[in-house]
Order: sequence, then C-alpha cells, then structure tokens
Amino acid sequence: MSGSAPILAVHDLSLSIGGTPILEEVGFDIPHGSIFGLVGESGSGKSLTAMSAMRLLPAGARLTGSIKLAGRELIGLPEDTMCHLRGNEIGMIFQEPMTALNPLHTIGQQVAETIRIHTDRSRKDALDTARETLARVGLPGDRFPLDRYPHELSGGQRQRVGIAIAVALKPKLLIADEPTTALDVTTQAQILQLLKTLVVEDGIGLMLITHDLAVVADMADRIGVMEAGRIVECAETTDLFQHTQHPYTQRLFAASRHVPKRRAYVPQQGDIPLLKVDNLVRDYRPNSLFSGKARTVRAVDDVSFAMFPGENVGLVGESGCGKSTLARALLGLEVVQGGQITLRGKPFAQPGKPPAADQRRLIQVVFQDPYGSFNPRHRVDRLVAEPLHLLNERPSDLERRRKVGAVLEAVGLAADVGKRFIHEFSGGQRQRIAIARALIVEPKLVILDEAVSALDVSIRAQILDLLADLSSRLSVSYLFISHDLSVVRAITDRLMVMRDGRIVEEGPTSDVFASPKHPYTAELLAAAPDLGSALLARGVDLDQISQLSLV
Amino acid sequence: MSGAYSHRPRRYLRNPSFLLGAILTAIFVGLALVSLFWTPADIARLNVSARLLPPSPQNWLGTDHYGRDLLSMIMVGARTSIAVALIAVGVGMVIGVPLGLWAAARRGGWIDELIMRFNDLVFAFPALLLAIMITAVFGPGAVNAIVAIGIFNIPVFARLSRAGALSLWTRDFIMAARVAGKGAVRISYEHILPNIANLLIVQATIQFSLGILAEAGLSYVGLGAQPPLASWGRMLADSQTMIALAPQLALIPGLAIVLTVLGLNLLGDGLRDLTDPRMEAVRR
Amino acid sequence: MLRYLARRLLVLALTMVAASIVIFLLMSVVPGDPAQFMMGMNADPAALAALRAELGLDRPLLVRYLEWVGGLVIGDFGQSYTYRVSVSQLILDRIGLSLPLAFLALLLSVVIAIPAALFAAQRHNKAGDISVMGLSQIGIAVPNFWFAMLLVLLFSVTLRWFSAGGFPGWDAGFVPAMKALTLPAIALALPQASILARVLRSALLDTLGEDYIRTARAKGLSRGQALRRHAFRNALIPVLTIIGLQFSFLLAGAIIIENVFFLPGLGRLVFQGITQRDLIVVQSVVILLVFAVTLVTFLVDIAYAFIDPRLRRGTV
Repeated sequence: MSGSAPILAVHDLSLSIGGTPILEEVGFDIPHGSIFGLVGESGSGKSLTAMSAMRLLPAGARLTGSIKLAGRELIGLPEDTMCHLRGNEIGMIFQEPMTALNPLHTIGQQVAETIRIHTDRSRKDALDTARETLARVGLPGDRFPLDRYPHELSGGQRQRVGIAIAVALKPKLLIADEPTTALDVTTQAQILQLLKTLVVEDGIGLMLITHDLAVVADMADRIGVMEAGRIVECAETTDLFQHTQHPYTQRLFAASRHVPKRRAYVPQQGDIPLLKVDNLVRDYRPNSLFSGKARTVRAVDDVSFAMFPGENVGLVGESGCGKSTLARALLGLEVVQGGQITLRGKPFAQPGKPPAADQRRLIQVVFQDPYGSFNPRHRVDRLVAEPLHLLNERPSDLERRRKVGAVLEAVGLAADVGKRFIHEFSGGQRQRIAIARALIVEPKLVILDEAVSALDVSIRAQILDLLADLSSRLSVSYLFISHDLSVVRAITDRLMVMRDGRIVEEGPTSDVFASPKHPYTAELLAAAPDLGSALLARGVDLDQISQLSLV
Repeated sequence: MSGAYSHRPRRYLRNPSFLLGAILTAIFVGLALVSLFWTPADIARLNVSARLLPPSPQNWLGTDHYGRDLLSMIMVGARTSIAVALIAVGVGMVIGVPLGLWAAARRGGWIDELIMRFNDLVFAFPALLLAIMITAVFGPGAVNAIVAIGIFNIPVFARLSRAGALSLWTRDFIMAARVAGKGAVRISYEHILPNIANLLIVQATIQFSLGILAEAGLSYVGLGAQPPLASWGRMLADSQTMIALAPQLALIPGLAIVLTVLGLNLLGDGLRDLTDPRMEAVRR
Repeated sequence: MLRYLARRLLVLALTMVAASIVIFLLMSVVPGDPAQFMMGMNADPAALAALRAELGLDRPLLVRYLEWVGGLVIGDFGQSYTYRVSVSQLILDRIGLSLPLAFLALLLSVVIAIPAALFAAQRHNKAGDISVMGLSQIGIAVPNFWFAMLLVLLFSVTLRWFSAGGFPGWDAGFVPAMKALTLPAIALALPQASILARVLRSALLDTLGEDYIRTARAKGLSRGQALRRHAFRNALIPVLTIIGLQFSFLLAGAIIIENVFFLPGLGRLVFQGITQRDLIVVQSVVILLVFAVTLVTFLVDIAYAFIDPRLRRGTV
C-alpha cells in the first residue's frame, strides 16, 4: 500500500458539536480500489465521521485534524469548493432509501442533477448519462424509464437510484452509511454485490459504515472498530478477526456470535398444543366510500401451525410477508376472515369474534421499537401494570405494587424504578420493561415481534440471555418473529418461513438451517450475512479463533 | 400538561416568546377580571360636556364622543372580547375534540368519513358568513357571535385531534394497550388525549386570538355585542366618523386588539417550542 | 388521477348540497313565517298574503327547496323584496367589485409572502429571520379593518393620496378603479401575507430537514440551491391549502373592508339585506360565497395533483 496517496487519509480527526466532544483523534486510510469498513454500535460516531469527510456537519461543529482526499486537504476548504467536490469526487449513499429521494422529482432528474450541477453538459446529455448510470446499477431503461417517480419503486430499487446519484460522475470516494440496514436480506445481498462491483470496476475507494460485523467481514479489506468517538482497533480484515487486540472488539465479536444457554424443547407424547392455528385467513379491503374497485389483499393466506408448551418457535420472512399481521391476529387485534385459533384446546378467535379477556391474558407481546412502545406520559409502574386490565378480578393496590416489583426484578431491574418515566431509560432497559409488562399477567405465550432487532449487539446478547432464562424459569413459550436469521437460530427449537402470506417451510431449526427444502428458504439463508461463512471464505476458521481468544 | 416537563418552570421563563406572550395576556385578562367589579368610571353614564377629553389624571386615556372614560371602556371591552372568544374556543374544543378522537378511533370507517365531510361542510362557511346568517335570522348579539365563532372552531379542533390521534394509533404503545384489552374509548382518553394535549393547547391559544379578531370584526360591523356592552370593535366603528378629529379613539382600541392577539400568539408559539417533542429529544 | 378527480368532484357536490340545505333551513324555516319576518309585526295582512304568495310559502318545504335550488342552477336567485329587482342582477352588479378586490388582495399577499419566507428560511434563527418573523407576528395581530382605518388616516386624511372610500366603477376607467381598490386590497392582504409567510417559512424549514435535502447536499448543491430546487416545491404543498383557505377569508373579509371604504360590493349588499330584513338577498349572497369557497377548495385539490406525482398516478 505504498506509492500514490490513498484516496482518503484521515489523521487526528477530532470533532465537537456545541462544545461536546464527538470524535477524538480518529485516523485511517482508504487506498484506491479498496473497501474500508467502519463498524461500531449506535452513537459511536461512525456517521459523523462520514459527515466530517463530506463536511456536512450541523451548526456549531468544530473540526480539527486532517482529512485528505487524494492528497488534498479538505479541512479549511471554503464551502463552494466543498460543493464542487461533493457528488463530483465524493459520492454518498444513505440508510433510508424511502426518504432519501425527493418524492416530487423523477429518478432521471435526480440522477441528471448530479451531472448538471458539476458540468456544463446539456440537459439531454445529462439525461443520457443518467440512463447509462441507472442501467449500470441495475435499473435498465426499458423497465425503469427516467420519468419514474420514487414512490413507484421498491426500497431496494430506490437505493439503487441513490447509488446512481452518488456514482454518476465516477467519484474517487464513495461513502455508504448503513446502505442496507433498512432493506430485506435478499435485497441487501444484491446491493452489497453491486457496491463491490463498482469498487472493482471503477477503482474507487469505498467507506462502508455498518453495525453488522458479518457485512464488513464479507465486504471490507480493512476494518476500523469505533467506540465512543475513537477508533479502538484498525486492521486488515483477516488480521482483525484472527488477532483481536482490543477488549471492546473482543466483546463486540463475542456478543455478535452469542448463543444463549437454554434447555431445548423435547417433544412429549400426548402434549396438548398450547396454540393451534388452522387455515387462518386475513384479507384487507381498502374500505372507503369513494374508492372504486375494491381489491382485496390477502395478508395471511391459509396459515396452519401448532406450538407446544415450552417450545420456542421462530417465524422469519421479509417485510410485507404477513408475519406482523399474523402476530396481530394471534393477539386478537385483527378481524380474521377464515380459520380458527385454538388456545390450550379452547377456541380463541374465530371469524368475527374477538377473544375473551381471560384468554387474551395468555398471549402477550414485546414490540421492536423500545422508544415507541411506551406512553411517554406514564410512569413505569403504570406502564408495566397496564395488562392487569385483563384480569377479571382487579388486584388491590398493594397486590398491584407487589406484582410490578416482582416482574421488574425478574427482568433484572430494581423494583423502585417504577416511579420513573420511560425517557430516563436506555433502549436495552426499555426492552426489559417491555418484557416485564408482557410477563405481569403470567402468559403462556409471548410474541417477540422483532424484539431485539433495534438493539446493539452487546445489549441484544443480554436480552437474549434474559429471554432464555425467563423461558425456562417461568415455562413461557416464545413466538420469535424476526428478519434476522442468526437471532432466530440461537433461541428457537422450530422455525417457520413465511412468504406472501403463506408458510412455505417449517421444521426443527437446525434442520432448516442445515438443509432447507424450499428454494425461498435456501435463497434467504444464502443472502443472510453470516460472520462464520464470510470468514471461512477468507480462509479463517472462526471456531478455532473463538477457542483461542475468548476463553 | 402532565408529564416530564411540567415541573421545570424556569425553562418557560427563559423563552422570550412565552414570557412576553404570558405578560401581555395576563395584563388583558387582568383588566377584564378587574372590570367585573371595578372600573375607573361608569361607562353607562353619558356626559356630553366631557366629550373627547385628552388623557388626564381623571381619565387616563381621555374620553370618547359621549364623554365616557376610555380606560373603563377598554376594560369592559377586554371582558367582552375575552369572554366571547374563550367560550367560542370552549365550544369548539368540547365538540370538536371528541369528534376528532371518535373519527380516528374508527379510522377508515363510515363514521370517520361522515365526520370529515361534516368538517368540509362547516369549513365552507367562513365564521363571518355564519355570523351574518345567524344575525339575519336571530338578530345581532354577543351570544350569536359566540355561536358563530364556536361552530367555526369545531372542525378546527376535530381535524387537529383526528390527525394527532391517527399518528398515535399506529404507535406500539397503543398496540400494547389494545393487547391489554382496553377499548377505543378508554385508549382515547387514557393514552391519546394526554399525548395530544400540547397540540390542542397551542391551537387553543391560536383560536382564542382568532376569536378575538373575529369578535372585533363582527362588532365593528354591528353584528356582535350590542350596547350598553362595550366592545373594542364597536368602539372602532364609532370612532371612524371622527377619525380626523380624534384619532386616539381609533388608535387605542385598535392597539388593545393588536396587543391582546399578539400576546396570545406569542404565548402559543412559546408553548409550541417548549413542548415540541423534537426539541424535547434534543434537550435530553 | 381520474379517480382522484372524481372523488374530489363528488365531495364538492355533496358539500354544496349539504350547504344549500343548511342555508335553506336557516333562512326559510327557522324564522317561522319569512313573510312576517321580512315585513315586520305590524304588516298589513293583505300585503303579507301577497308576499306569501309571491314567495310561494303555501307550498310544501321540499317543493320550495327544490324550486330554489333549481333556480340557482340556472342562475335565478329570485326577486329581492326591497329592491324589487332580480337578485342575480344585484349580485352581478356587485361582484364586479368584490371578486377583483379579493384576487388583488390574494396576489399582493402571495407576492409579499414568498420572498419574505425565502429570505427568512435562508437566514434561519439569524437577525433577518427574527425580524421578518417579528413583523409577521404583528401583521397577524392587526385586524384588517383597523389597519384599513389607519391607511385612510394616513393616505387619505393626512397625505390625501387616495380618496377615503367609494368606487367610481369600472366605467370610469381602469386606473381610477384600481386606485379605489388599492387601499382596501392592502388592508386585506397584510394579515394574510403575514400568515402565509410564516406557514411557508416553517414548511421550508421542515423540508430542509428531510433526508432528500441531505442527498441533494451530498451531490454538491449549495444550501441555497437545495432550498430553491428541492425544498420550495415540496413546501408549496402545505402552503397551497393556506392559499385556498385565504381566498375564502378574503372573500368574507372583504365584507367588512367594503364597509370601511363604502365600496358597493357583495358585503355592502349583504348588510343592506340584513338591515332591511331582505332574507332572499342574504341567502343568495351566502350561498354564492359558500359556492366560491367550496370551488376554491376543489381547485386547490386539483393543484395538489399537479404538484404531487403520488396523487397523479392514483396511489393515494
């Protein structure tokens, strides 16, 4: 890596915003035609490192140190020179493809704008280049004409437009900030492949920011690990995993491969199913006085399955496959059009009939978003006690306090946190409170709807341990809904794969992972980033390393 | 106004909009309250010999063309304006908010559609037009002004609370309440209403100020409060013929309106800044 | 697009029907006997009977309603009881003043508000922004009729640039007519311009926080370019609603302003109708204005479709 200057060279970069230090002495190089992975948990400063290189920082930001783009110092450049560099020599793509494009401009206009702003080429010429670029990123002109609007495209297609905007002028450096976090696994695999191709073909440098170790292990040549505004470790990818130096990296590494200890479910003869679902159907009809032809959408299509007491079942599928609708139906929140749900041998919900309160008590839920699942105006004890509404006999105040204290302790929180408001808690603590709320009515089944997806890996590992522990202690079953296959693998006995409202495959978790029967399952498994296989492809055997470094 | 930030009064005092607005509002509400049991002079007694006097120790703001004390008239006018606007806002909230919550709870259903179409219908009648119709049939008066402005406020609050409630109904904490077996009515008052309260309070201050403007307009054209009740709009109407002779008669009631409305708008702006959840997140 | 249009058209029609029923009930049913109401308590019984026959009060309600609406559709509002001429003639005479006045005020309001909002948004939280917002805060608080009186005091009484009121008619020439409308239009426009500028500024600032603005900045647009090319059109969507609402405020607000300036418009007509208890004139002007307001709302909805492709292709 000697000779010409690296495309991006960052040294001693420090950033403070409004006096608060954000980045401290960050430094790394990105050579031509290479991928630099920047990993870290939320709030570690990864995105602000990228925005510093773009010099698109919020007001009150103070930047010191050095950022050199192909040998040219960026810090201190006037704003109009930076405008000339952005989009021209540095391209950037963002996490949220659904909102990153202007809804009122066509995709052609938006790609051509990059060209028009930096060159004096004619409108027609710019549009021609836009068409070529879009074709290059996988949106050929015959199927995706330039006059399409963003809302007519899927998330993955929009992200391709975002990439086209960034690479239209063949920049030297491409910064991708969590480019696939909002996408499904199969789309993620395609977008990552596209980025790899662009790096190889154009010889550009790519700075890939992600929280997912498996993604960087697969993509990056070099990896920098960030914690609290510093790069704590930076090395070639294989080196980093083989000779992990910094304790934080080791912890991150361990957490992302964490498998909670739990008792596997052993099927017993004559067990009555805890939950039995037969031929469940849920249709949506856009109902409004004025909408013309009503087109029904079948979100859940003839779904049948059973769960036994003590068994943990995973439900995986990509967004829009109907898994959340199914979960809501199991919670009695959806009116189903056909089929029936049986709970411990008794009918739970039938078409047009909501379940009774004492039945509902048996199924509780934990949602994905630790921030949106609580009324910000209630105190924790009131939040946790809410499901007690389902009990036929309301507990006395004393009994209520005792129950709240007991569940809070069960999830590892002090009983006296009840007097505080929810905004005083971190994401992981909130998810503990959400679990406490689900457990207070002693349910038999808890639906975990992407319950650990929004958490950083280290917190996720703790919550998974807690869940495994509670499952054995309280004999609760989980229906674990997730798009993340690795999480499901760690904690479930059986796995169901859902697509277009149907369950396409079902079987013991280890069997499904080892030999998927349905082609869709195979596709999902192949697309899902996996640390072990990514490293194996680089000749590193993970199992050996973990024995060495993690004992 | 319950919740995490009500016990931090200092923050409120550091917001200039809020502070100035609160002071202006307090002054005029204070004047109105004092006028209930005391005014510097009796505004019912006419004294033509003392007409159009300039400000003096006896009449701080001078007298009008009937010799009435202008300060007393302004105080009673404040009472009229504030009473009409406040009751009209109350009418709008008491009817509009439940309608909006109901529509949101039945989102997409025919009740929702019906309530929204009712809103469209009321919006087709600007408050002034409504007042004209009501006055044409029932005659002018403060009560009719309240009815007209109040009806106009209904769809404002219905729409606002529907929109606020709709965004809340998709949130997970509402889902959690449904899982806990709570019905739409209970969720609406237990979870939704407290979370849109800020929105409603801010809108209420805005509608309050619009109500004062509307009341002034109506009484200016003779459709509002009738004598012997003093009102700012009527004082302006009376002053118009003498505007060259005694411009202060036109200036003082006008300034009273401007300052009151300004105060309420600043108060609303300040409250919005102080209770904006986005700002709250930044502060944490 | 067609479905969206059809839906809005249906809402327009429904609103009009409902509004006509409300107006009819309020003006023809609530007073009990409209003839008695219009002629007063001491009316001559014979004249009363004649008026009843003229108004067709002896026939069933539904028939009277349908006849009224049928007349409206062909532009026949009925006969004015006091003026003894057809109401459509009266309205036609007056609308030539009220409509241009409202349009002029709207134009002024937009022309003032847009540059002010762009100016303020570009200087967010700086001195320029704060002073524009402070001025607009005062502009909103000023009642338009009081502002009109101040304008008269300054420009007519003191400076004598404009006459204090009255309207020479369009026959007197374009310039004198416009001169007579200038002060009223300014008085009407100022508070509306203040509201519009505030709404547009905050819409601009909201859109400036959107992800696609960050994308635009990342492709090399300066802050100003991003504001003009990406934020402005997107910010227009909420602003259009306000412009639509303002037109109805202006039409109704003109009723008061016409009284300040003694302009013979619809506003004066309606007040004369009230003092003379001429219910037919009042109800005709009211339904006309309601129709105008509803129509503008409809036009705004159509304008949305032109701005927002998501509506155009019928996905919403």
